Amino acid sequence: MADSDEVNLSESKTVVPLNTWVLISNFKLSYNLLRRPDGTFNRHLAEFLDRKVPANVRPVDGVFSFDVIIDQGTSLLTRIYQPASAEVPQPNILDLEKPVGNEVLPVIIFFHGGSFAHSSSNSGIYDILCRRLVNICKAVVVSVNYRRAPEHRFPCAYDDGWTALQWVNCRSWLKSRKDSKVHIYLAGDSSGGNIVHNVALRAVESGIDVMGNILLNPMFGGQDRTDSEKLLDGKYFVTIQDRDWYWRAFLPEGEDRDHPACNPFGPRGKSLEDIKFPKSLVVVAGLDLVQDWQLAYAEGLEKAGKDVKLLFLKKATIGFYLLPNNDHFYTVMDEISNFVSSDC
Amino acid sequence: MEPYGNSGCVSSSASSSSSSSITKPPEMDNHLAEAGYKVRSSDLRHVAQRLEHLENVMVNSPNDLSQFASDAVLYNPADLASWVDSLLSASDFSTQLPISIPSDLDYPDAIMDQTAPPNDAWTDHHSAAAPPQHHHHQITAFTAMEEDSGIRLVQLLVTCAESVQRGDLALAGSLIENMQALLTRVNTGCGIGKVAGCFIDALSRRVFTPQSVGSAAGSAHENELLYHYFYEACPYLKFAHFTANQAILEAFQGHDCVHVIDFNLMHGLQWPALIQALALRPGGPPLLRLTGIGPPSPDGRDSLREIGLRLADLARSVNVRFAFRGVAASRLEDVKPWMLQVSPKEAVAVNSIMQLHRLLGSDSNRSAPMEMMLGWIRNLNPKIVTVVEQEADHNKAGFLERFTEALYYYSNMFDSLDACAALQPDKALAEMYIQREICNVVCCEGSARVERHEPLAKWRTRLGQAGFRPLHLGSNAFKQASMLLTLFSAEGYRVEENEGCLTLGWHSRPLIAASAWQVMPSPEATATATATATNNPLGIINRNANHV
Repeated sequence: MADSDEVNLSESKTVVPLNTWVLISNFKLSYNLLRRPDGTFNRHLAEFLDRKVPANVRPVDGVFSFDVIIDQGTSLLTRIYQPASAEVPQPNILDLEKPVGNEVLPVIIFFHGGSFAHSSSNSGIYDILCRRLVNICKAVVVSVNYRRAPEHRFPCAYDDGWTALQWVNCRSWLKSRKDSKVHIYLAGDSSGGNIVHNVALRAVESGIDVMGNILLNPMFGGQDRTDSEKLLDGKYFVTIQDRDWYWRAFLPEGEDRDHPACNPFGPRGKSLEDIKFPKSLVVVAGLDLVQDWQLAYAEGLEKAGKDVKLLFLKKATIGFYLLPNNDHFYTVMDEISNFVSSDC
Repeated sequence: MEPYGNSGCVSSSASSSSSSSITKPPEMDNHLAEAGYKVRSSDLRHVAQRLEHLENVMVNSPNDLSQFASDAVLYNPADLASWVDSLLSASDFSTQLPISIPSDLDYPDAIMDQTAPPNDAWTDHHSAAAPPQHHHHQITAFTAMEEDSGIRLVQLLVTCAESVQRGDLALAGSLIENMQALLTRVNTGCGIGKVAGCFIDALSRRVFTPQSVGSAAGSAHENELLYHYFYEACPYLKFAHFTANQAILEAFQGHDCVHVIDFNLMHGLQWPALIQALALRPGGPPLLRLTGIGPPSPDGRDSLREIGLRLADLARSVNVRFAFRGVAASRLEDVKPWMLQVSPKEAVAVNSIMQLHRLLGSDSNRSAPMEMMLGWIRNLNPKIVTVVEQEADHNKAGFLERFTEALYYYSNMFDSLDACAALQPDKALAEMYIQREICNVVCCEGSARVERHEPLAKWRTRLGQAGFRPLHLGSNAFKQASMLLTLFSAEGYRVEENEGCLTLGWHSRPLIAASAWQVMPSPEATATATATATNNPLGIINRNANHV
């Protein structure tokens, strides 16, 4: 793993602001209560604990949002966030789905994290992140409420992502005026980052153009125990044991972590060399125990000749992007903004 | 020495991103608040220490944490300080939990066909089952519509409401005619057609036949009938009754004489379940008095008494000593405390299912009837006040805003009703119940408009200022409400926890909110709403300490 000598490995409290530490520790301990040793999940308690926020048609901080069911069969919900326009400070129902009309409008399809089992598109932490992305990138954000493990294993989350991609691609009101097409970016953190990769793969043969992938601390793994896993186990909020639990909950029963969904460049991975794959921005936190897998992912893309930018943040932990109280947050938001606007 | 990283501890002064009308006191950590957690900045260090302690306890526990989590009753996860403390106090992990509220209360056939299953695997698997097929369900019925007619209808509706607000009734009238013509080309059986039909009808009454609006409200008898169909066709009222009963049951623990005051008896649908639960409680049932308030019967019958007699029969059959009293009043504000004959020895529960909003006027300065009522409720010194209200903002002065809010709210409600697949004509009658509500919101003004729904945030402020503090509904009520839904409704309904209250909604839109309250001790009677949130730090312990 990258450079470990200066980091004091037993003091997670010294590397994050106090309120971040409280937030992530609370998640960690609450989540410990939800995972059962037999692989089942206390979904009621999870929903009870999750802090949810409603959509708001009345703009707040320049952003409004509304929920749409895009697939009746699976009740697939998305929350759509848009910049409030100066001419229409209070959109009413008619303004939802009115063509935004920009010359170039990035549309970011966002997949929230939660290790495939936790959170929803209306979770407070993800709702606020999506609103920030709207303002920072001057984009429309479509947050997908994909089906979660263990009730819905691989490939449900990917199927839902694919459904969302197709739906977004067909929305005439999301087209950029410049070329009458929807300019789509896929973004996600943790399990959402993993979904980004897999949905982009599915898009490859389809003729739907994904302009870029943004992976924030993406969730990857493998059968091996890497150095970063061994060194950082339990030190910064995350343990190998909980990672294993979530993979067992998501992957098909009986599968191991070299399944290509988990380990795309592992022994069972598929080569990307001959396919057209979107450019990728991969953000890796230096205190994330699965960083070796994430670095291997970036390397795998590079070796296959794909356009990839790796942003390695040495002192960052998981969840650093949830609160705007640290430099890493601003660094990453700038990078994402450039990534998305460089296609104008 | 600073044990915690000191970059970025300072809260930003960014404005609140929530649409709540309660402004946070300046000392709350803004970033955590945006994420849905309430922690004072000055408490952060303390909360962090408690979290570390909790982790130690959890790591050293010999027991399975997930089993503890299934058994424990937990409250208000938004208030991190109390949340962590309640986990710690509830969790001497190596011993039996002191919490006496079982998570598998027997509820009678009227509500549940079986006792709650002992483990969650059943419900986890159930939720993985394929959802039933249903048509046209969207959070906003007007978006992602393929039909031009539907979009056009919405445009016309909003334009019409605008002209009504401006006083241009001629334009409004011609728009209504356009819409009625357009309706003939749209499927009015479901989706946008159905909702638009209701609102066009309401607008038409307001514009063309304002004198008929009063009679559209229907007789009390008709309303009771429609209420019954609404009760059967969808889970909102069952959720309201169930959640309130759960809280009342807990509040009555240890009391031998209890008195429930029901602000709107209707057919007494809420009470068989409570009577049966009291019959089964460990230590035996109390003496139960029920005072049911309702409109006077027109034809000389005493329908309140008839319902009381039926409930008395039920109580007798399960050996619960029971006494009933009916209080006939056309308006809630006509009820006076002396009519309720509350005795100082009894534990009192005041139960209001969608009634309090009727006391609101549109002018928030003229809040006398509400203040008076909350004042005398407080003076009864109830153990608990259960309040269920529509989670909607239908009391705005401006007509267009009110109209648009109602359009959203009721379209979600209609969609949710469609999903429940009630048979005809029951479903149509349930819809008629909703239509009458819509009519009142859209057509009526002044004292005729009684459906003055306001959101939970406003109720919190109002009840806080009146001297009440929240009694948090916990994870057991949440879980049982969720399980009730899987038995009695359809895919798409969601229970959510909202700072100690529970809401039931359609997908991500809460439509009805249930909360419980107790009286704050007098010196703090004028405390603000924010103080109420922190006055009850350990939900579990406070309840047990309230016994007389």
